[in-house]
Amino acid sequence: MLLNDLTQALGRLNLAKVAPGEYHKSGCHLEVEAAPAQMPEVARVMLEQGCFLESLTAVDFPEHFTLVYHFNHFRELCRTVVHVRVPKEAAAPTISHIYPGANWYEREVYDLFGLTFAGHPDLRRILLPFEADFHPLRKKFAPSETPADA
Amino acid sequence: MLERGLEEKYYILNLGPQHPSTHGVLRVELQMEGEFIVKADPDIGYGHRGHEHMAENRTYLQFLPNLGRVDYLHALAYNQCYCMAVEKLLELKVPERAEFIRVITCELNRIASHLLWIGAYLLDLGAFTPFLYCFDDRENILDLLDRVTGSRLTYCYYRFGGVPRDVDDDFLAGCKAFARRLRSRYRDYENLVNKNVIFLERTKGIGIITPEQCVKYGLTGPMLRGSGIPYDIRKCEPYSVYPLFDFEIPVGSTGDVYDRYMVRYREMEQSLRIIEQAVDRIPAGPIMAEKVPKRIKPAPGEVYVAVEAARGEFGIYLVSQGETAPYRLKLRVPSFGNLSILPEIAVDTLVADLVAILGSIDVVVPEIDR
Repeated sequence: MLLNDLTQALGRLNLAKVAPGEYHKSGCHLEVEAAPAQMPEVARVMLEQGCFLESLTAVDFPEHFTLVYHFNHFRELCRTVVHVRVPKEAAAPTISHIYPGANWYEREVYDLFGLTFAGHPDLRRILLPFEADFHPLRKKFAPSETPADA
Repeated sequence: MLERGLEEKYYILNLGPQHPSTHGVLRVELQMEGEFIVKADPDIGYGHRGHEHMAENRTYLQFLPNLGRVDYLHALAYNQCYCMAVEKLLELKVPERAEFIRVITCELNRIASHLLWIGAYLLDLGAFTPFLYCFDDRENILDLLDRVTGSRLTYCYYRFGGVPRDVDDDFLAGCKAFARRLRSRYRDYENLVNKNVIFLERTKGIGIITPEQCVKYGLTGPMLRGSGIPYDIRKCEPYSVYPLFDFEIPVGSTGDVYDRYMVRYREMEQSLRIIEQAVDRIPAGPIMAEKVPKRIKPAPGEVYVAVEAARGEFGIYLVSQGETAPYRLKLRVPSFGNLSILPEIAVDTLVADLVAILGSIDVVVPEIDR
């Protein structure tokens, strides 16, 4: 079973948490917590097991960012969520060399949160104009801060 | 970023942002050698409205109408996913009749989306007539949905715990009549399109996507099923009352543009089957859960919910901290992942084929931009 295979393979990586999730509540079968430096290893294991990257996003908490990766499998339903705490102003390692699809997701996180990914081949803004000087999904971002028309 | 020092050798061509084949405001910067593409770089974000930011700044119910504007062509699936996410956090049970109504309307909407795509896509390839047939059929669905939802495009029909208005017998009879009508048109589509030599020449063997690429890029929907992987959330992660119905998942074999067309074409018949079974078996009863709180304030927690939209997997990742607005709401839109493979499959194709490939992705640009 995929859930057991994943638990075993991820268990070898010495992660902070690998535990079955409450699917009926959270929609995830496996919950994982990893340190930023471990993320490329985690991604490599997920790809070896044939999982695809379903979604990648971030949440801005007062003390840190949390990167949230969702993986799933085309043949057998097993959604894995990986939480990665990234300190503010720190960079997270990219997984775009493992999952090329992560390239755009990481650009989006950079664009909206200002969180950088070390090793990303093309870390440009993706949704906002290139010359924008703000990151709108940061909690301290307030649209009304822009000065009124002179 | 294209390398600017190579102007002598390469020719830079902007496809869009106002090009008819991009179906919205999407620009693809092409680096060309003669008529062949060396590098394609999609530039998105022209229609960024900040839906995810809006979600954090309004109540759960106030955000509901936004969902119909993310993907305006299959708005009801997006309504449904958001309602399911909130219902899951609130632990609300939706009455069975409401689930049946959701399935019927959602599938009608899926057919409308596919019909529009077929019409617009063939228009890209230079065939004007099928467009008129498709829009003629689609108009019937819009009339039906208009009757129950009150709008023709940006639906906002579902509510947390059910649906606000019941359907009547005329609507159910109309669904059956529509199924008969669409089936009677298959012969026209077969003759006009599926056997058309020009269409076959322009779509077969072009824009091939392998199953390995699907995994690496996280493709979903007809883009994925065209490559032969039968991943459909209605079957793989069943939600609502879909397990009650008998339907199949059409898949392709080679993963080219033609396969993606055939997957969508054949999906319409499967949606008709679901609609007919649902209309036959729709139970009587309430359409709204009994104890829906007036103030939606889910307990702290996070949830990921996915539905099968016309373009692929639409997922919502919702983090609640017990407030009246979500702490974070991520819209996992299918077109974003599906378009991200374009730079890889566009290389070494002719610019005329790129139009066929780009169209076969079936992007809805406002959904990518959010």
